[in-house]
Order: sequence, then C-alpha cells, then structure tokens
Amino acid sequence: MKCGYYTASTIEDVIARQRAHPGKSAVIAGGTDILLDIEEGKKNADLLIDVTQIPELNQIEEMGGRIRIGAAVTHAAAEKSSVIQRNARLLAEACRSVGSLQIRNIATLAGNVVSAQPAADAAVALTALDAEIEIAGQDGRTTIPILKAYKGVGKSAIDTSSQLVTAITFDALNKNQGSAFIRLEQRTALALPMLNVAAVTALNPDGKTFAWVRIVMAPVGAGPVRAFKAEKSLKDAPVTMDAIKAAAEEAASEANPRSSRLRGSREYRLEVLPVLVRRAVAAAAEEVPGHGLCLEKEAVRL
Amino acid sequence: MITIHFILNGQPVNVEVMATDMLLDVLRGTLHLTGTKKGCGKGECGACTVIMNGRAVNSCMVPVAKADGARIDTIDGLGDPDHLHPLQEAFIEAGAVQCGFCTPGMIMAAKALLDEYPDPSDDEIKEAIAGNYCRCTGYTKIIKAIHIAARMSNGKGGV
Amino acid sequence: MMKDYNCVGKPEGRLDGIPKVLGRAVFTTDVSLPGMLYGKILRSPHPHAKVISIDTAEALKYPGVKAVATSRNTSQVPFTTAGAMVFTGPQGRPTLDQHIFEDEVRYVGDEVAAIAAETEEAAEEALKLIKVQYEVLPAIYDPLDSVKPDAPDLHWSPFGKNVAGAVIEMKLCRDIEEGFSQCDEIIEETFKLPQIKQVQLETQSAVADFEADGQIRVVSTTQTPHCAQIQLARIFETPVSKVQVKNPPFIGGGFGVRIGLSAKAEPIAAALSKLTGRPVKVTYSRREDFIASDTRHGGYITVKLGARKDGHFIALSVISRLNGGAYCSFGTETCAVMGAMTMSVYSIPFRNYCGTCYYTDRTPAGAMRGFGNPQGMYVVDSAVDMMAEKLGIDPLQLRILNSVKPNDPTWINPYPCTTALIACMEKGAAEIGWKNRGKVNKPDDKKRIGYGMGIGTHGSNSFPASVDYSYAYAALQQDGSLQIATGVPDMGNGTSTTLPQVAAETMGISLNQVGFLFGDTESTPFNIGSHASRTMFSAGSAILDAVKKVRKQVIEYAVPLLESPAENLDIQNSKVFLKDNPDKFMMLPEIAWHAHIRDIQFLATGKSEPANLPPWHAHFAKVEVDMETGMVKVLKMVAAHDCGFAVNPKIVEGQIEGGVLMGIGNALTEELLVDENGVPQNDSIHKYMVAMASDTPEIIPILVNCDSPVGPFGAKGVGECGCIPTLAAVANAVCDATGVRFTELPMTPERVLERIRKAE
Repeated sequence: MKCGYYTASTIEDVIARQRAHPGKSAVIAGGTDILLDIEEGKKNADLLIDVTQIPELNQIEEMGGRIRIGAAVTHAAAEKSSVIQRNARLLAEACRSVGSLQIRNIATLAGNVVSAQPAADAAVALTALDAEIEIAGQDGRTTIPILKAYKGVGKSAIDTSSQLVTAITFDALNKNQGSAFIRLEQRTALALPMLNVAAVTALNPDGKTFAWVRIVMAPVGAGPVRAFKAEKSLKDAPVTMDAIKAAAEEAASEANPRSSRLRGSREYRLEVLPVLVRRAVAAAAEEVPGHGLCLEKEAVRL
Repeated sequence: MITIHFILNGQPVNVEVMATDMLLDVLRGTLHLTGTKKGCGKGECGACTVIMNGRAVNSCMVPVAKADGARIDTIDGLGDPDHLHPLQEAFIEAGAVQCGFCTPGMIMAAKALLDEYPDPSDDEIKEAIAGNYCRCTGYTKIIKAIHIAARMSNGKGGV
Repeated sequence: MMKDYNCVGKPEGRLDGIPKVLGRAVFTTDVSLPGMLYGKILRSPHPHAKVISIDTAEALKYPGVKAVATSRNTSQVPFTTAGAMVFTGPQGRPTLDQHIFEDEVRYVGDEVAAIAAETEEAAEEALKLIKVQYEVLPAIYDPLDSVKPDAPDLHWSPFGKNVAGAVIEMKLCRDIEEGFSQCDEIIEETFKLPQIKQVQLETQSAVADFEADGQIRVVSTTQTPHCAQIQLARIFETPVSKVQVKNPPFIGGGFGVRIGLSAKAEPIAAALSKLTGRPVKVTYSRREDFIASDTRHGGYITVKLGARKDGHFIALSVISRLNGGAYCSFGTETCAVMGAMTMSVYSIPFRNYCGTCYYTDRTPAGAMRGFGNPQGMYVVDSAVDMMAEKLGIDPLQLRILNSVKPNDPTWINPYPCTTALIACMEKGAAEIGWKNRGKVNKPDDKKRIGYGMGIGTHGSNSFPASVDYSYAYAALQQDGSLQIATGVPDMGNGTSTTLPQVAAETMGISLNQVGFLFGDTESTPFNIGSHASRTMFSAGSAILDAVKKVRKQVIEYAVPLLESPAENLDIQNSKVFLKDNPDKFMMLPEIAWHAHIRDIQFLATGKSEPANLPPWHAHFAKVEVDMETGMVKVLKMVAAHDCGFAVNPKIVEGQIEGGVLMGIGNALTEELLVDENGVPQNDSIHKYMVAMASDTPEIIPILVNCDSPVGPFGAKGVGECGCIPTLAAVANAVCDATGVRFTELPMTPERVLERIRKAE
C-alpha cells in the first residue's frame, strides 16, 4: 500500500493536515476497516491521519448522567469500562461480540460508526442508546444524531478527508431502564451477524407499563434501523409477553433485509427477526428490578 | 521511508520502513524474525498475533507507524530451549501442538490473557483465543494447556 | 492383553514441540534463499473460457520483473496435481487433465500466467498489466447439469460426457433387487452434500530452484515429497534422480489438500525458476488457497436400505454422483473409497455401489480428510436411523445387531477384520448418556435436546486400491544412538515423534537417542507419503522392519563378546544383556564403537508389507436446537475409536479432537458457494464458517484397544477417522431433537428452520 501516514497529536493538528491535502486524506483510528478498503480498492487516500494518540479522544467519561466516549476508544476498552458496564450494559455486550479480541484491541467504536456498515454491532447498540456523534471539521464542531451518520450502505455522512469524529455521547441508563443486545451468528467470533437486535426499555415507576422502548434491528436496511412503529405501540403498554410479541411482529414489518448468500435469505431473516426482537425486549424489561410481572424465561444468548 | 523506534522483546530497535508497511512484514522481512506467521494477511486468523503495549493484536493489520514508541512482544523473544515460558511448557505437556503454525500466535494471545487475568475460566480463555484459528487440534488441548500454564504460575500475575 | 512398553503407548511429549512453541520451527513460508524472486499467479476471472491471446509485453517492462510465464513458454506435459499420478495401480490409469497453464480455463481461479519479480508488490502490480483475451463459454456448476445433453463438454473423457475418471462399480451380489424383494421395510433417500475446504493454516507454498546443472531443488508444503518429485520430473522431463523435493521440515497442516503437489505451487515456482535462473517462491494468498486448491467432494448420494422386521439388514445400495469440479484430481479414488467404506460397515448379504465423479466449472475437488468416507457414512447412517425409526428399534441396538463383527469376512480382502466396534459403541453410548435419548424434552420446549450416533470404518493405508509402500533405513551410530529415515512428512500428525517411538521401543533405547530424517527425497528412501491414515501403519512398519534388522545385527555381533547365544540376549535402555544373567552386559555405545574401529556399522533397510487393517469408530453427539431460529449448538461429542494400539495416546487424542471439530463444521456450518457467474463466495476465513475456539463443544475421545495381527505394535490408522462418523452423529442428533430428517448439509439455521416449519 502506498500512502503517507501521519500521527496527529491534537484535533487541530488533524484539521490542519486535512486542509493541506484537500480530499486526499483519510482518518485512521484502528484501521481494521479502512486498511482493507484501501487494499481492495474501495477507498483511496494519499495520506492516512492517525488519531489514536490524541489524549482527548481516548477518554470514557460520565458527567451529569451523560456518557462520553472518545473517538479513539477501542471496543475492548469500552467492553471493560466499568462506566459502560454500569450505565449501558448492552454496549459492552455489543462491543464484545465484534470480530476477535485482537480486532477489539485496536478497532474503535467511532470507526464502527464511520464504516457505515449495516450491521456494525457497536453502532446498533449506540443507536438503541439514541447516541449522538460529535464531529470536528473545517467549519468547527457539530453534533448529529447517530442515524444521520448513514447516507447509504457503506456510505457515511462523515467525510474523513475533511472531518473527524471526536466523541460519541448518550444518556446513561437509569435504574428504571434495561437493555439487551442479541446477535444471531453462524460462528461466535470473526463472523458478521445474520441479524442483530438491540433494545432499551424504560419502565414506568410502577413496573407494570413501558414508559418507552427503543428497538434497533440490523442488517435490515442501509444502517441500523429503529422500529419506530413498534416502539410507539409499546408506549405505556403493559409489560406482558403478548404486548411484546405483537410489537415484535410490528418491528419485523419495518425491516427490509436483503438476501445474503452467506448469511441468510430475506425470508429467513424476516421470519426470525420477530423472535429476536421479542427476546431482546423481554430481556431488557427483565433487567429492571421489580418489574413486577413474571415474564417467560427467554434465552438471550444465542 | 521513515525510521520507526520501538522496544522489541525488551530491546530497543530502529528500522527504516515505509510507514504503511504492516508490522508483520517488518518483523518477518526486515527484521528476519519468522516466528510470527502469516495465515491470511487480513486479520482473520490470528496466526500473526503479537502483543503491542500489553494487548494482543493482529500484526498483519497494524501499519508499522503505529508501532512507533510502542512495546512489541513476539514469540521470538519468549523463552529459550532451556527456559521455556510456562505456556510453552504447558502446550507441549497438554499435547496442544500439532502442525505448529498457529502456535506462536496462540501462545502470544494466551500470554496477553494470563498477564492480565492469571486464573481465567474456560469461557475467558475461549474468548481470548477466539481470534486464533486452528484446524488441527479442535482447540480442546489448547484450552487445557492454558489452564495448566495458569496453574503452573499459581495464578500469579505477570508471567 | 496390554503389554507394558517402555516408550510406545506412552503420551511422550512431541519432539518437535520445543521448536514449535519457540517459533523456531521452519515452514516453507519461512524459507528464503539468496537471490530469491517472488512468483504471483494470474487467474481466470471466468468459470469457463478459451484463452485467445496473452500480451505480456507491458508486464515484462515493469521494474523488478524478471520473467512472465504462460503456456507459450512453459512445459505442456499433461499431469494431475493429485498424487494419483504416481500411485494409481496396475488396475487403472490416472486422468492427466491438467497443465501448468491452461489454454481453456475451467473455473474462476484457473491458472493463466505467472510473474517472477524482485518483490511481491512488483509481481502483483505487474500481473495487472498482463492483457488476456478470453472467449467466454457456457458454464455448469452442478453435477446434475453436467450430464445434460446441452451441457458444455469440459474435457474429452473416455468414460462419458463430463465424467472425470473411471466410474466405480462394486457389485457385491448377483442381484440387488432380489435382496430388496426379501425386505419388510425399505428406506430410500437422496442426500445433497457441499464442497468444503481443508483450510489448513499454512497456504500452498513452494520455493523452487532450477539449477544451472539441470537439478531441480524444491522446498514445499507437499504431504508426499517422493510423489511430488516424480511428478515434477515428469512435468519438466528431467530424471527423477535430478529432482529433490523436501519439507523444510515442517508443514502447516494438510488434511489432504496437498497429496501430490501443493496445487500448482511447485510447478509454477519451478517454471519461473527455469525462466529466470534464480530461486522463486510461490506462496498462495488465503484467497487463492480457497478458490484454487482442491476441495472436498460434494454432490448427491442416493441410499436404499432394506431390512427385515426383526432388524436384520438385507440389502444396501449406494449411488453417488459427485461434484468433481474442473479437474479430476482424486475423483476416481474418492468414489472408490466411498464405496469400499460404505459397503464394509454392516454385514449385509446384498450390497451394491456405484460412484461417478462429474466435471463442473468449480474449484477442483480432491482429497480431504476422510476421502469420501464422511460423505458416504452420513448418508448410510442417516438411512440406518430412518430404518430404526420405522422398525421401532433403538438406533444403537440396530447398529450393534448389524455391524461387522470380529473375524467377519469383509469383501475387501486380503486383510482380516479385527474390530472393537461394539466396545466403541457401548463406551461411547455410556459417556454421552444415550439412555436419556427421547426423555429430555417437554412438548413446549423452544430449545430441544437431541442425541445421535454414527459409526464407521476406514483403512490403515490405501492398499490394495492404490500403490502403497514405504521404505525406511536405520543405522546405529558410532555412539549407540539410532538414525532412522523415511520419506513421510510431519504435517502435525506427530510422525516425527511417533516413528522414533517405534524405533526406540524396537531397538531398546530411549526416545532421545533416536534421530529421524524425514520429508526429504534426497536423504530418505521412497515413501508414498502421508495420506490415507497410513503413516504409522505403513511407514511405522517399514521403520520397525529396518530397526529389527539392525537390532538382530547388534545381537549377533554381541554373541562372541558376551559369550552367549543370540536367543539369550536382549537390549533395553541401551544395554545389551543376558536374559538369564542381566549383570553380564555391554552398553550399546561400547558395542557400536567396538564395531566401528573394526570397520563395521550396523545398518539396514526395511519395507512395509502389503497389508491393511480397518480401524473402527463410533461417535455420539448431544445437540441443542433452537426451534425458533434453527440454530444448532453441539453440546458434547464423544468419539470412541478402535485404532488398534495408540503409539502415542496424547497425539492420537489430538488427531481425533481436531477431526471431530472438522466434522461438526461439515455438518453444520461449512459450505463453498458460487454465484451465478461461478465466482466463489467464500474466499476468506471471515466468509467461510470454520470453527473458532469459542465454538468448541466438549469433545471426549475414547481410545479402545484391539489386538491386531499386523501393524507396528498393533497400531491401525486414525488420522482421518475423527471426522468420519461425526456428520451422521450430528445429523441424527438434530433429527432426534426436532423430529425432522435433514437431507442436505450443512444444517444451517435457515435450512433447519425451513424443515421444522414444513413439518409443522
């Protein structure tokens, strides 16, 4: 591979370099996606700008109920972080399911979002957390909701020749909120998922009704897909398996999976999706202590 | 060409490389250390596992520029015929070595695990080496070997 | 009765263990020679096409390029990469349907040209500058299409349209229909199997040096150095004695992918070396290894099994139509082994087999661990379970009733049938908890447990079907240590430890006194190589023969020195002593030196005798099926093996465990797919579902001893056996859990769920 490599020390450093090579540079964090893309001719860059040594980008912080994950934080660091395990358990589980430990030790959550792959596990969990992406660019700083980061399959709205992700933020889950991440996979490591589903459920204080639910499904569209109609159907609904089952069927109707020769036909994915959504929502609801109702014991780990 | 400085198996090293050469090719080619193997070149098999700043990584996917200033540990610096590392002894004792091609990467992944978790469970071991492909052993004796190595070190850290 | 041995039968640590754990073991991909160039290969993007023209002018000009090889400037001698070229016996003729570069390409990946350059990058860049004009032709991918009248003829074949190699027919009775007419129940079903891949960790690789004096020296990953030597000699029209092939000495796995040549690595490296006058290294990328080296045969197998109400099997017919891919390779042999094995497990009076291998425009299929046996037994043992269900008999009891018993005449003569299969079945059943079968699931369970079993046999070498012999030599060194040599490799199966164990035990010395030369045609006598689970049985027999002769020479030499008749002398722990007065002895080093200064060394050659013995195995699987997603999880596998005598039980267990996991992959997750343009879809480890450590179930190997009249210390073959009955065991377990029979592998979640839904 023939391109230049620059290791930046500050965010401003990155922006200056990008300015000096308009349209010809690309940000590299872990590199596990971009190096393969360049090798296979899917992406081009004259200069790779490494952001992993910028101290500000390596932090995981919790401030006033808001979690902030720097853009250089690896999947392994996120998985092990007590901040994330305490406040966003499904994200720790999603990170844990990516690739292999060697890949998790170097690949970043920000990279997982920017690669814009439909079933990127961390991005799916972050979507269920209603995360926001902080971006620095030539024109200063902006923040976008995570779903706005996706323009199409493999097409990020973030242009890494002129911008960089600086952090991902979301609200920490509180004690009335539970989460779950389920991955249907042909192999427990180094395999893209056939389907992955993330759910965050907030129960009302009486534990008998849902306050709100977020359901994210993938790969059933260009990026992670929120099942908005299903979510709406559960607002203030009773916490029962019947309600969850019905919502799961609704969620599947909002999905549009392709047929994959390697990872399941569209028909199979549509058939199994309600099962996974049902299990994820039920598992998330069960996480809330004192939910008050006896839910059918659902297996989450497949 | 640039000059990269790093600590390799405890010794300082300077090499002149292209920044985007992969660490694996620098180790095997420029530095003639062929202990670390290439099985796929895409980060999918773990044969090229080395430990970088205490973490197991696929060296075939690490641009050598990332190694600048880092601590890199490879199989070439682990043990010698008269003083085997407990993992090396355990792999032989348990029968965890067959063709031997996955062995260097597997041992380094296991070492990174034991350095941080001196007494891992079966599941923790499986997760740590899930990125190290082996076709010969069915992994069964490899998992046993890592338990034996952990016991040999009495669950003490930093083996 | 178990004899107490000093060295064999013990789980000795591997002699190659220390170099391997230190990363100092040398593999072909580690080899570098002075002046070495790197070879890269241009491959067809089309599944079937004629090569109209190749323009290499631009490529030749690329900086660092030293030669471009095409069919125009390389050997056109036809060959097959398969060792069948060398070990097809007098009863057949190998199909030589390959060339180094083809003018008609027959699969995506077929070799068209190659470049040798100073660096790998230069070679890869220059490849892009070779301009090839193709005339695209119609392509076929399924053997059922190969026989259609409008299917393109992929090769000229004397055996029929698109038939690769001779059709194998085994008519083991006068009239099979007469047999079926005597049956109360008949099961008939057709099964579909995938092509799968060995995915050994070291890709195909060779370093070749075509020297100025005409000698060709090759270091490569071949499992059969002597066969490769003969093949290369033929291709380059050079005397065999001027060709050297060796492993350096280790190989990163094989599993059949390189019996003979390592795909085209050796011939292309040699061709480039001939053109450049420098050593050339060709190492396949992982993608090339996936798409352009032999796979396992998939295809269609039809079984018909008939039995009486009381459970006795009366008639069995197996018909296989295999997908041979673009070149014949081991197509004929695979059909033959499938027939031999499926016909030999159960005592059935009326038996019939017919196997045909068809050409298609896919990656060629060839040898892979088990060699037709796993496929065949999946089908036969599925039928046995179907029969068990029909007759209302427990599948274990049905197999105990019908399986071959000790001293049963098998149709494959001239070797006897020693078997501990019943013991394998009983021990395996106890360990898996067979009595729980049918009792663990509740009607509403969304996750259901199932138990299944499969049995089988194999060979301990390929006699009498193929040429199969080993020579060895042994020499007592001047200090009393022992040098042995034979041409087998060590590809992980432990031969560099177990053969010295045989030698040490036979000579009466400790293991660390044995030096072993292996895998090198220049320094070892002929050995057909490591395949057919033959290495211990056959190479071990040759080693045993040679060492016995050396031992006899030493004892005879010691007769006057110790003043004792030969019958009263023994050797143990390097001590030659009188049996009735052990205090009277001489140490071997003393005797060896005594002889040396009188101009004598003790040395001999040995040979394996033509013989074969079947090993036997019974596998039991416990699985859990998620009825809502179709996901199958194997919870536990028990693998009980009669391999006669385990020279090194730890190594044998390791072989079995690896084979079991390979078989699980074959049953549940592994398959090679092509799209409508013949482009392989699984060209990386990421896209091909081989198991990782986190997928491993509990695997319990059980070694069952069985007295055997031949073989070193009674050892039989085991290398391939770990994956033979696994497919059936897992498939039968999934059927037990779901109540649904699966006739297509792998049992992916989608296929499982589809069948469950259909049955509901």
